[in-house]
Amino acid sequence: MRRNSDGQWLWGLLAGPGTTWLLLLFALPFYGLACMAFGEIDPIFRNAVPAWNPLDWQFENFGDVMHEILFGSQRRVFVRTILYVASAVVLSFLVGYPVAYYLARHAGRWRGLLLALMILPFWVNYLMRMLAWVNLLQVDGWATRAFSAFGLQYNWLDGKAITVVLGLVYGYVPFLVLPLYASLERLDVRLLEAARDLGARPGHAFRMVTMPLSRPGMMAAGVIIALPMFGDYYTNDMLSRSPRTEMIGNQVDFYINGTSQPQKGAVLVLVLSAMLVVFMSYYLVSTMRMQRELQA
Amino acid sequence: MTARHEFNRRRFLQGSAAVAGGLMLPASILSACGDDGGSGAALKLARPDKPVTLPTVGDAIANGLSHEGGTLQILNYVDYLNPDVLARFEETYGVKTAVTTYDTEEIALNKLRSGAYQPDLILGLTESVLPRLVAADLLQPLNKSYLSNFNNVIAGLRDPYYDLGAQYTVPYIIYSTGIGYRTDMDVDTSYFDSGNGWDILWDPAYSGRLGILDSYRDVIGSVLHRNGADINTGDQKVLDTVLADLQAMTAATNPKIDILAYTEIPAGTRVVNQCWSGDMLLGVWYLPEDAGWDVLGYWQPDDMVTGNDLFCVTSKSSRPVLAHEFINFFLDVDNALENFGWTGYQPALEALPASTLIEWEYVPAGLENALITPEQYAAGNRGVALEPEVDARWTDVWAAFTAG
Repeated sequence: MRRNSDGQWLWGLLAGPGTTWLLLLFALPFYGLACMAFGEIDPIFRNAVPAWNPLDWQFENFGDVMHEILFGSQRRVFVRTILYVASAVVLSFLVGYPVAYYLARHAGRWRGLLLALMILPFWVNYLMRMLAWVNLLQVDGWATRAFSAFGLQYNWLDGKAITVVLGLVYGYVPFLVLPLYASLERLDVRLLEAARDLGARPGHAFRMVTMPLSRPGMMAAGVIIALPMFGDYYTNDMLSRSPRTEMIGNQVDFYINGTSQPQKGAVLVLVLSAMLVVFMSYYLVSTMRMQRELQA
Repeated sequence: MTARHEFNRRRFLQGSAAVAGGLMLPASILSACGDDGGSGAALKLARPDKPVTLPTVGDAIANGLSHEGGTLQILNYVDYLNPDVLARFEETYGVKTAVTTYDTEEIALNKLRSGAYQPDLILGLTESVLPRLVAADLLQPLNKSYLSNFNNVIAGLRDPYYDLGAQYTVPYIIYSTGIGYRTDMDVDTSYFDSGNGWDILWDPAYSGRLGILDSYRDVIGSVLHRNGADINTGDQKVLDTVLADLQAMTAATNPKIDILAYTEIPAGTRVVNQCWSGDMLLGVWYLPEDAGWDVLGYWQPDDMVTGNDLFCVTSKSSRPVLAHEFINFFLDVDNALENFGWTGYQPALEALPASTLIEWEYVPAGLENALITPEQYAAGNRGVALEPEVDARWTDVWAAFTAG
């Protein structure tokens, strides 16, 4: 009993660095962000003056921004961002799931090499990869010329939503494949064999066994790519930069970096975070439910 | 200019912490405009018809000092100094230079106020941020005895309305805001002949091949100019009209918003782009090898919107003498000319008239109107520093426009 108690103390201690890390680099900055959002603007220097005491918080800016989100121009930006991210996540699954499945189930001795190739894009900075696409897709770029050879004339870089969505897919799909691969690779083969033995065709076995069992991995992979996509602004900056493709991240970037109203950018971040908390809560609840179902 | 490049994230909490600490403001620079005298206090903002003498904060360096040596820390926009001229400065004075860049004036101001980085010299800021720099005690008065080349500056900027007596500033470059275009790609130049060339930005014929500056100050200012309104207005109704016009522009031409006219027009990916005059002068060097210089054109209104960027020495500079020597070095005609050949932005020097720059083939004859004469500069409109509440209205218009 005493040994058990000591063990718990040790485990608690081991959680210390992570907890400290979270407090210092997440909770504290997030509180600072809230203080900035509900603070004032210095009338001379036009910087945010954070209100560190919550009793001093002012909600006028928050109200203005919420009004814009619900009834004004920011609503278009929020709806557009949600649509872009949803489209990009779906496309990422269409591209990434077969790849992860192949790597986990059929790659055999090539698995290590193929995994390494999958990770290869991580070696190159995201911005560099997007810049490469700018070169490929510009009017005289190789990709555009290749499309032209097949009679497809298309200006990808003149502010099109499809270019931004495909850019998001390209940028984030490796982050989806890895957790999916880990999930599929751990899948108990005997369950699939049992399904086959009971007469299930391969497609049926996939739908009834593989897909349900990989759902936790899919959820995790979806969350991993969706969260950064919601805050992404540089993909749109580089591949479009048109008012028709503006995302939330671009508005945050503008308000915080380029104006004397940084508190509005901070409010946008808070609202976006609240929105993501809803998604995260759904993910956590779903994951717990799935675990309970699997255990049952 | 108010923006030069994108994509860097700002560590905004860093700036905020400094702001929370607060700064003591020299009382002389504040003029009460509200009853409370606290948050209602405001800076005196200069206008061409209401010039401002900035308060003297601190002392200028003494005469006759030798430079300090070591490394001169420079805060500047990216690609805004010719590395060859910089190297020659280092060689001439036996020193080193270290350039740190910024993207927007707000970022530069925060960087300076946080105290985390203390450059000796700042390049590229405009008059719009100048009163705040002085109020924060971030600049030191200049000692003109070190600036023997100061008389090379165009006459209208030796005693500018935003800094009477040029106490803190020396102009670095001058520019106008206009429209760059391709002369060989069926651009309808009758828009420019009509006198209101801004209208071309609404022509659907150029949809997908048209861009505007990623600078709310320049874009809204240009639309106001097109509409015949005051280009510094704070009138909400007028600004609402501007927003409607900008949204109509999106519907008609889906403009790209960036500051890449100097590469995109030479590459032919855009045929029309609102830009700064320097973009077209620089764009000459980005043309494909088989393209002639005459494919680039530039239009600016007769009562052009002009501006200038500044040299300033910081109050906490550890090498103020060297910083003065640097400014003087870049006011030298030969050095300024070589710097211009690389940056593309016109030096604010009287001794470099348009005819000389064309004769010496620094500028193609077809781009003569991208050069600004001292007379044009004197007669041009100015995008001046805006009051905080007006600036907030402008940024809200811009945010609503870019929201699509």
